[in-house]
Amino acid sequence: MHLPEIDKYAHLSSPFHSWNPRIKLISIFLLILSIVLNPNLIIASFALLLAIVLVFLSKIPFSFVLIHLRWVLLFCLFFFIIMPLTVPGNEIIRLNFVSISWEGTKYASLITLRAISAVLLIFPMLGTMRFDATIKALQRLKVPNKFIQMIMFTYRYIFVFMEETRRMFIAANARVFKKRTNIRTLKIISNLIGMLFIHSFERTQNIYNSMVSRGYTGYLKTLDDDFRLCGKDFLKGFFIVAIALILTITGRIL
Amino acid sequence: MKEIINIKGLKYTYPDGTTALCGIDLTVSEEESIGLIGPNGAGKSTLLLHLNGILRGKGQVQVLGLEIDDKNLISIRSKVGLVFQDPENQLFMPTVFDNVAFGPINTDLEKYRVEDSVRKALEEVEMEESAQRYAHHLSFGEKKRIALATVLSMNLEILLLDEPTSNLDPRARRHLIKLLKGFRVTKIVAGHDLEMILDICNRVVLLDQGKIIANGESKEIMGNKSLMEAHGLEVPLSLL
Repeated sequence: MHLPEIDKYAHLSSPFHSWNPRIKLISIFLLILSIVLNPNLIIASFALLLAIVLVFLSKIPFSFVLIHLRWVLLFCLFFFIIMPLTVPGNEIIRLNFVSISWEGTKYASLITLRAISAVLLIFPMLGTMRFDATIKALQRLKVPNKFIQMIMFTYRYIFVFMEETRRMFIAANARVFKKRTNIRTLKIISNLIGMLFIHSFERTQNIYNSMVSRGYTGYLKTLDDDFRLCGKDFLKGFFIVAIALILTITGRIL
Repeated sequence: MKEIINIKGLKYTYPDGTTALCGIDLTVSEEESIGLIGPNGAGKSTLLLHLNGILRGKGQVQVLGLEIDDKNLISIRSKVGLVFQDPENQLFMPTVFDNVAFGPINTDLEKYRVEDSVRKALEEVEMEESAQRYAHHLSFGEKKRIALATVLSMNLEILLLDEPTSNLDPRARRHLIKLLKGFRVTKIVAGHDLEMILDICNRVVLLDQGKIIANGESKEIMGNKSLMEAHGLEVPLSLL
């Protein structure tokens, strides 16, 4: 089974791996922000190239990145199908009552380029440090504690959830269940999902009991890590933020 | 010996109307090891949850001389460690270190004391090399041991264990029993692994339908065939 371990390659060595987690999070987040808010198609194309270069520099294998990118691509595909047909503007092709507009195609391309670039940049940002380091960096950056707890528990229990799903499907398959395109299959899968929700609810209660029994009062406390900052960290941060600024300014000018 | 748990007339009914405990009277002395046995639904786990203040029924529960109420809860929880049956529920933090440090951090210890507690707890369960491993990468046996370390790090006086050997292979089970026997704290162990309870506990409490049916020396109660069978249990093979 494929486990969605974002930090699978956190042990490698690259300029991103050696970068201070806090500066890295802020800098790359600003870069992502500058890309997703950019209205220019040329800049968005350049941003995609830049994101690919940064993933390459992070040494995270592209095969790993592509596995995680497939859902984003699928999501973007819907924009490519719907927007050219629905956004009014200059016609490129007309087939009977269906017309494809230039504006629709442009917006769909813009969304796709920006989405892929943003997702690609997640890998150098989060994939080059251990997940617990990300959590501690977010705490040091004063991100709201409840938000951090949500991220942490989601990541921690996604593996348990996947294992429970796998076991339930094995149990169903053991009783001659086969996925087909019919109502019965849909009903069975709905029931399995329902049972997963019930299990999740019960587990949540047990986890909460376990936390409370060890002194949890609603606020997640962890030990401060000895994050050290050096000149290189600031230099890398300056470089990425400068690119973000250039993208933003040129996007407005062009 | 000093009495450290005193329960009088404890009753508890779950919100769905299921009565789990009906009038429990029990006293536990310092450094005693007590086994809670009984069929499924007897109220063993519910009773354990009362000793840490997670559930609060009617009646009196005194732990370490303190009444379980909001005022005493933090101090009681820092002295009473509860290990749940499923280690996945106990290991909710990403790394082994964070899981073991969770309790000590919540008691506002200084950083060096937290690190020291974690190191000692991991040494006790022989997992000192695993501090930086992710919880989801551990084997089931390792998870059980780390679950135990999560409470050992808290400088506790009472250790409550719910089915500690369930789903363990024989070697991991033997290892866990050896560890548990070595801890010099008051232990209350709930479970169906009667051989383990016989090995660890000098006294057993037989529960059924929320009531204490028998309370006494382990071999005497667990060797009573008619009593055991009447309550859905069997005499351990080693006593036959």
